[in-house]
Amino acid sequence: MKSAMKTLNVGMVFLLAWAALAWADSQWVLDQSTLTYHVSHPLHQVDGVSHAARGKGMCHDGQCDFLIAVPVKSFDSGDSNRDLHMLQVTRGAQYPMVTVRTHLPETAAQESTIHADLDIEFAGQSVHYKDVRLEVSTQGKEKKLTGTIPAKVGDFKIEPPTLLTMPIKNDIPVKIEMTWRPQ
Amino acid sequence: MKTKAAQVLWVTVWFALCLSAAKAQNTTADLSGTINDASGAPVPNAKVSLKNLTTGQSNEVQADARGKYHFSGLAPGQYEVSASAEGFNPKTTTVSVTGPAPTAHMSLERSTGPTLSDLGFSAAETQSNAEEQARLDKRTRMLKIHQKMGLITTVPLAATIITGFGAGGKQTSSSTRDLHVVLGSTTAGLYFTTAYFAIFAPRIHGTETRGPIRVHKTLAWIHGPGMILTPILGAMAFEQKSKGEHVHGLASLHGQVAIVTGAAYGAALLSVSVKF
Repeated sequence: MKSAMKTLNVGMVFLLAWAALAWADSQWVLDQSTLTYHVSHPLHQVDGVSHAARGKGMCHDGQCDFLIAVPVKSFDSGDSNRDLHMLQVTRGAQYPMVTVRTHLPETAAQESTIHADLDIEFAGQSVHYKDVRLEVSTQGKEKKLTGTIPAKVGDFKIEPPTLLTMPIKNDIPVKIEMTWRPQ
Repeated sequence: MKTKAAQVLWVTVWFALCLSAAKAQNTTADLSGTINDASGAPVPNAKVSLKNLTTGQSNEVQADARGKYHFSGLAPGQYEVSASAEGFNPKTTTVSVTGPAPTAHMSLERSTGPTLSDLGFSAAETQSNAEEQARLDKRTRMLKIHQKMGLITTVPLAATIITGFGAGGKQTSSSTRDLHVVLGSTTAGLYFTTAYFAIFAPRIHGTETRGPIRVHKTLAWIHGPGMILTPILGAMAFEQKSKGEHVHGLASLHGQVAIVTGAAYGAALLSVSVKF
């Protein structure tokens, strides 16, 4: 009798473990990233690069919520004066992080192209970008995402920085390259 | 009599039409609403942004403690309303601002997704720093003046160098020499004012100087002392000329020092203007 109870208990534990695994929430972690903003000025074409983004995706019931954040001051354009100026105009000390949130179905990981709705908080403003096209490629268990966010200085109410009294163009497209791995 | 009355009537009707058209053009509307959670409880201090879908112009307000928000002075049209709050999924909807009192109530769902603290950023990295922002603002204001004044200074600087070639001569006095002195003094005055705005702009701690700005700063060690030395040597040369003497000794270096100073100044300007 005791032995039967023991077998039943072990069976129950296995059953619960299997159920827990079957319904487990999966997670994704941002492994590597390169975010590059591009600024056009009559005298310069400037790219500011950051590798400091961190991100996490939490999936539940087939739906995933992703959050990517990057410190504003981590962008390097190759000139410290320009970076400090960018930090000032984007109010980077007051709002030190850029955050990007998106909600995707878990099946999106199987697609080669994703059209994501992005909610970006930057410079104290929240801006919604619809249908941002991202290319997905698979490398083993990792997923590599590339795309461009069609950001504009005006979207975030940033006063266009000037050099020699000439302002930059309104478009500051942000190129993204991210490698995600399941956790 | 009838014709006059008809004329008065037409003018009155025309004025009335103009007034009504002007009023129609100036019509603005207000938009208000409430931000609640799924249970109907208000979400306090939610950020609500509004974007005019025709003009692209956007505006942002913060909802009050009862989740209420209000936008006023809106041109009639289609707007995109977005609401966000910490711990909630952001939501966006489209609203038509046409009627007398349009409203857009929104219900936010609690976020099940990751938060900033899940990403492992330290509090120092994510915390707002108003003092640092004020320092950055002051720095930019001062450097913008530095930039503008630096550009203005190039005009008398170039003119001083050009007039310098005719300022020597054999006479004890000449109008070109006097003009050269006036232009030189103006250049020096503008130069030191320009330098003040760069030297006394607030420093941002933890910033390593790199890139073209490094060249710009290094060149200041040439044109800075040059701008002090050139007028001193110029004054010596002027005095010697006024006495009918040949310019001699250290004063004879005035022209060379001035040219090196002007060249370093031009290079400093180019170092931040042209990408190379």
